[in-house]
Amino acid sequence: MEPIIKIRGLTKIYQSKQRVGLFRSRTKEVVALQDVDLDIFPGESFGLLGPNGAGKTTLIKCLTTLLLPTRGTAWLNGHQLERAENAIRASIGCMLMGERGLYWKLTGRENLDFFGALYQIPPDARQAQADQIIARLNLDEIIDRAVETYSSGQKMKLAFAKALLNAAPILILDEPTNTLDLTSARELRAVVRELNRQGRTVVYTTHVMSEAEELCDRVAIVDRGQVIALGTLAELKASLNREGVTKVEGVIPEAAFRAARALDGVMRAALSSKDGMQELVVVSPNPRALLPQLIRALMDNGATLEQIAPTEVTLEDVFIAKTGRTLAEDTREK
Amino acid sequence: MTSLTQFTTANKLRLIWSVVTMRLKILSRYPGFRLLDIIMPTFIAAMPILLGQAIGGGAVRAAQNFQENTGTANYVAYLLIGSNVFMMVSGTMWNVGYWLRREAETGTLEALYLAPTGRGAILAGIALYGNLRMTFNFILAFTLGAIVFGVSPLQGDILLALIFLFIGLIPLFGIALIYGAIILRIKEANALIRLAQWGASLLMGLFFPIAIFPGWLRLIALAFPPTWMNNGVRASLLGVGFFFEQWYFDLAMLGAFCILVPLLGYRLFIRTERGVQRDAGVGEF
Repeated sequence: MEPIIKIRGLTKIYQSKQRVGLFRSRTKEVVALQDVDLDIFPGESFGLLGPNGAGKTTLIKCLTTLLLPTRGTAWLNGHQLERAENAIRASIGCMLMGERGLYWKLTGRENLDFFGALYQIPPDARQAQADQIIARLNLDEIIDRAVETYSSGQKMKLAFAKALLNAAPILILDEPTNTLDLTSARELRAVVRELNRQGRTVVYTTHVMSEAEELCDRVAIVDRGQVIALGTLAELKASLNREGVTKVEGVIPEAAFRAARALDGVMRAALSSKDGMQELVVVSPNPRALLPQLIRALMDNGATLEQIAPTEVTLEDVFIAKTGRTLAEDTREK
Repeated sequence: MTSLTQFTTANKLRLIWSVVTMRLKILSRYPGFRLLDIIMPTFIAAMPILLGQAIGGGAVRAAQNFQENTGTANYVAYLLIGSNVFMMVSGTMWNVGYWLRREAETGTLEALYLAPTGRGAILAGIALYGNLRMTFNFILAFTLGAIVFGVSPLQGDILLALIFLFIGLIPLFGIALIYGAIILRIKEANALIRLAQWGASLLMGLFFPIAIFPGWLRLIALAFPPTWMNNGVRASLLGVGFFFEQWYFDLAMLGAFCILVPLLGYRLFIRTERGVQRDAGVGEF
């Protein structure tokens, strides 16, 4: 089957200016994407995963023609980047900038109508499509109010509605559930699944692994501008089969983390914090055999342990196994 | 699976009109702006009118002095026309030159660039909106100023004045696009546009005839399309004299600007825009 999105050698290098003193600045090259090759097939629900600054948004911006790549190219729906920008834009529905990207002084309906005209949809089809989306996303009650009166979540829903306006074969969603409450996020994912079942190709970027596990057939894990893992969820998890994951929760000082990482048999370890507690994830070939040494190393170095258990492999574990870091880490180059 | 987008001329024209109506709707939600548009030219003209009367020794003597220098004794209408044309120049700079920056600030720029639409169609919509708004404002604001200062707004060749106004706006959009391109690069939109609008007010002879300029400055002023627009309106309404004696030569000159300046502006804009897309991407303007 011919891929609906074909990416070959896509590279993006930014020139970043750094201030040196009051008046001088120094230019530094930042490699945001490096030789990315990827095929996404029609009807797939494809996840792009990675921490903030991994290069997901840069990749999406290149694919949506907002940014020209430094090297390499891509084809979307048979159209090559730089050669058929309008045909590519007509082939995709996008939600890239969250609740921004709307005219706040206009009502929701006026926004949909304006963007429908901008997508060159004939008036009748525009109205019918808008009505259908309004009903599907339960926007009836707010659609005739000015967007500036919406809550953050309502704006996100309208931005999502805008992405569906042109009924494009490819739907690109960049962290669409950011700022949505749990119920709205669940509703949005349900609509995405429904559209995918109807044949829409979905490209979904997120740093929330559970979302990717719920929605995506295949996943590419992006880190520091490169695709470091690619496959179905089962394939990616199976890649860790020979390894096991142990999760430790508690108060874990840096010294305890270093001691745990230095143990024989520890392949990777990553520490993250949440609500004053730390979570240590350790990847090793034999977690049960490692457990006594691990507990000792942590306790001897001032850790207070709340919970410790070998766990089921998640996509987050795959990321940790590949990079030695958690997804919560911001890897943006300054 | 195909999208609902249909690349037809009718849809493109509808898109241009949608840009106009969208801008008008947004404007309608800022009543303060609408009021400002109408009363500002009167305030701008009031200062030199009152100063002139104070220095000239009353309205009659001020009018006599003014006629010697400009060819019309109706200095009130002369200054009102100047201030209204200045408002058009300033408004166009902000509407078109500042367009990308404003969209970037409101967060809608990327959304516009994601649409399968050439920039030309969106710019045409913005230009048409600017044309309608500015011409409407000119008529209302000039009438208001004339009533406030007790001069007749219905004098001279009104139709010819409107033609000069409407035609004069076209090269002005070109100038605004050149400014838009510069803003894309150096990003200091506010400072640049303020500098441009006050520079324009000097060159186009907001409060005075450009005949009083030294030769080199007069040449620069004559290379600036709003100077022809301003003088064309004044000559049509007040009989101050066209630069080429006959109105159609002045209009032809403005017509030449209409072709050259927007073309130059559009080319420069698209070229710069491409460069920005290559460097940091849309949204980083």
